[in-house]
Amino acid sequence: MRRIGVFVCWCGTNIGATVDLETVMEKARQMPGVVFAGDNKYMCSEIGQTLIRDTIVQERLDRVVVASCSPRMHELTFRKTAAAAGLNPYLVEIANIREHCSWVHKDKAEATQKAISLVRTAVAKAARNKPLQADQFAVTHRALVIGAGIAGIQAALDIGETGFEVDLVERTPSIGGRMAQLDKTFPTLDCSACILTPKMVDVAVHPKINLYTYSEIEAVEGYVGNFEVTLRQKARSIDKEKCTGCGICYEKCPSKVDGEFEEGMSKRKAIYVPFPQAVPNVPVIDRENCRWFTKEKCGVCKKVCPADAVDFEQSDQLIKQKYGAIVVATGFDLVDLDEFGEFGYGKHPDIITSMEFERLVNASGPTGGKLLRPSNQEPPRNVVFIHCVGSRDKSRGKPYCSKICCMYTAKHAILLKEKYPKSQAYVFYIDVRTAGKEFEEFHRRAVEEYGAAYLRGIVGKVFPSGDKLLVNGVDTLSNQTVELEADLVVLATAITPRRDAAALGRMLGIGTDGHNYFVEAHPKLRPVESHTAGIFLAGTCQGPRDIPETVAQAGGAAAKAIALLSKETLLSDPCVSNVNESLCTGCLACLPVCPYKAISEKTITEKVHGQERRRLVAEINNALCQGCGACSTACRPGAMNLLGFTNEQLLAEVDAICL
Amino acid sequence: MKAMLQKIRKEAASVLASGEADLVLGWGKGPLWWQSYPAFIEEEKETGSLTWDPFCVPNLSKYLLEELWVKQKVALFLKGCDALGFNQLLQDKRVDREKVLIFGIPCSGLIDPQKVERAGLHQGLHSVEHQGGELVFSYKDDQKKEDPSSFYYDKCLTCRHPNPVVFDMMLGDAVAVNPQERFAAVGELEKQDVSERYRYWERQFSRCIRCFACRNVCPACSCRECIFDLTDPRWLGKANVLSENQFYHITRAFHMAGRCVDCGECARVCPVDIPLTSLNRKLIKDLNELYGEYDAGVEPEKEPPLITFNPGDPAAFLES
Repeated sequence: MRRIGVFVCWCGTNIGATVDLETVMEKARQMPGVVFAGDNKYMCSEIGQTLIRDTIVQERLDRVVVASCSPRMHELTFRKTAAAAGLNPYLVEIANIREHCSWVHKDKAEATQKAISLVRTAVAKAARNKPLQADQFAVTHRALVIGAGIAGIQAALDIGETGFEVDLVERTPSIGGRMAQLDKTFPTLDCSACILTPKMVDVAVHPKINLYTYSEIEAVEGYVGNFEVTLRQKARSIDKEKCTGCGICYEKCPSKVDGEFEEGMSKRKAIYVPFPQAVPNVPVIDRENCRWFTKEKCGVCKKVCPADAVDFEQSDQLIKQKYGAIVVATGFDLVDLDEFGEFGYGKHPDIITSMEFERLVNASGPTGGKLLRPSNQEPPRNVVFIHCVGSRDKSRGKPYCSKICCMYTAKHAILLKEKYPKSQAYVFYIDVRTAGKEFEEFHRRAVEEYGAAYLRGIVGKVFPSGDKLLVNGVDTLSNQTVELEADLVVLATAITPRRDAAALGRMLGIGTDGHNYFVEAHPKLRPVESHTAGIFLAGTCQGPRDIPETVAQAGGAAAKAIALLSKETLLSDPCVSNVNESLCTGCLACLPVCPYKAISEKTITEKVHGQERRRLVAEINNALCQGCGACSTACRPGAMNLLGFTNEQLLAEVDAICL
Repeated sequence: MKAMLQKIRKEAASVLASGEADLVLGWGKGPLWWQSYPAFIEEEKETGSLTWDPFCVPNLSKYLLEELWVKQKVALFLKGCDALGFNQLLQDKRVDREKVLIFGIPCSGLIDPQKVERAGLHQGLHSVEHQGGELVFSYKDDQKKEDPSSFYYDKCLTCRHPNPVVFDMMLGDAVAVNPQERFAAVGELEKQDVSERYRYWERQFSRCIRCFACRNVCPACSCRECIFDLTDPRWLGKANVLSENQFYHITRAFHMAGRCVDCGECARVCPVDIPLTSLNRKLIKDLNELYGEYDAGVEPEKEPPLITFNPGDPAAFLES
């Protein structure tokens, strides 16, 4: 007979106010195998844990059930407690009577009955729990950072500074990301490029940081401590070693296409450097638009290159590398404005996004920093800014607040006034949100010192009238319709994760939410970790945020990665799948459903009536298996068993909860 | 019919004589008109006992599971529906194609003895055979000729693959494919509301005596040890109660999902006439609608829908 101890936690009043815990303990004492039931106001406290440790010894307990909060909260705590008293940690079972019971019920009698059922279920499973031993495995002391915007740059620098090798992978030809596109930054108005480019240079010269620009993640295998990643380094068509960055090639190149860095507001060449401060300062040939690659003509760049660096024969390189930790920092895109016809985006050149405004005021931008109307290159006088285009819009856009728009619009209003003192900014807003250090002061300055007119209301329509734009809106404070004549309309467009974030998430095995933001392991307590061990999140790929928050989060993600890389070995989770070879038919339906490629086939030999029979069975690689259980659901004969969650244990739970 | 029987005997004798196969699986005749049983022929001289008549309904492929352990090469005869089942065994990696020699038999439909009995034609009946589009019932002194269409098994009426999809040698010419709509009964059930449907299946499953004939005959049920027989853990209780019957049938239906070749054998062998075909076809229909058309048993190399993942797969439970 088992000797099971049941420890019931009040969690202050969290559980105690809704569940009659005396009754729960009384019933628990009658459950099969239970020899002890006790309680504590906070079982996770030192006193509570001491009770568990002492009771294990005094009552010679061989199984422990803790009725408390979710196992995601304190399972590890109580496993360590049991281990300290000499009990195998996997003999501890948690009955979640808080999230699954007291927090979701009001009726005390019913909640008590449910708590008893949950405890009975945990007791039934605990009785069948078996001791499990964790394996040790070595850690690869190298990190991968995906995305080289400010988040990725910061994370790579922080990790590199501790002496670990870092590979920083960037999809575009240069590092820098969104921050490189911005003009000034709120609320201090320091120049974005001026504070970013030193960091870009730091990355470029850092002895521990290996830069892979114009490269993408092709495949991810492995697990925490030992990820195996395949990078595709796209053919740049330039020999990086030979190129001196003189720039003659793109001066002479005859093909022009819309420049991505300038948000399509000016042309770049088919051979190009995205922006003057690009790192590396090596051009790239956009093969889709290059005459040599599309028509097999031209080749001017090759002829004029004094260093003979142009190489049309270059091909994509696949690079395989092992990493202990991965930081994901893939950044954001803007929401598609097709759905928002009333703002007329795309129909008139003077209706622009905030990102395009950033380029228009930027000294390195398409107008050399002179803010001019795209339609006629004249200075604008009246500029209408519209907040929340696609944000806080459940029906057509995103229900969330993009967080940065209130502040950058205030910044835009200030920049406008500084460039043209006679100009006037009008800002349509729903609410102005300025929660941040010196944010409210900055916003007030835009209103009080720079005379930005804030109109609380929504814009119904923007349409051209002569060489101006007419903006029809409603001022909801005065309840009057407003018609403004504008030279420029700037849409504070909602930010979204990168369009292909979900695909990268699947490759990495990390979750995305309904908007394709990567999901953190815990919204409060593990904000920089993903649900997959060893993969960390930084920047706007996880949710809307501004530069200082991004930098702070990148530092946090780096610290987590460093903590992991500093370990020589890690303990594996022993809750992995296990094959009962006598039941396995070798159909291998488990193989394609395994997301971790942890299953392979093997041939076994057995003796039947004196005859040697060789047959196929499935085999688990314990190091790769993450214990997701997909194989055990695909296995018809029940040959796949997840240790710690075996079929026997789960059936015992089902039987117990149905009593 | 006679011509086919001659071919069967000739090919069986030939492969045994040449040593090409050391076992032939065919059908032999029992003492009564409707009894055509699986026959295991190892000697050339026994091939004369092989038969082919409208009652050769058992699928011989599942015997391969045992025979292939002890024989070098097994030759067997497969009808259209049998071939689908064979392919399922192949997909489940339960048979080695290299060790099997398949003679395909195009089949225009087999005769349901119960329908013969219900028509009152069984008294003193000696044999039944197809003759030029008619079904000839032979008695001691006379013969009766009938239109075969009212005597076919229900499963034959909806058969979409009367010509074997896998074979090494085809015996005879392909027959016409002219199936009735197979999802008609499912469509009728779908029209009922949930509680009506539940009561319907309750009535069906309450009759089950758990003889496991449906499982034993099923070519997609080829586990070494069935979970319903396991004692540790005991998935299926012994008690003769509706809930255990439901658990058995629903679990089995899910094990069939994306794997059922719709050969109809489970419903044919059920002694209490549970319409298992409707249950399996409901799953086939749903899977087709959710993940695109998939015909289990036709292309065994093709990955079945439930063990493949496409980012575009519907996931209503995530989107709600």
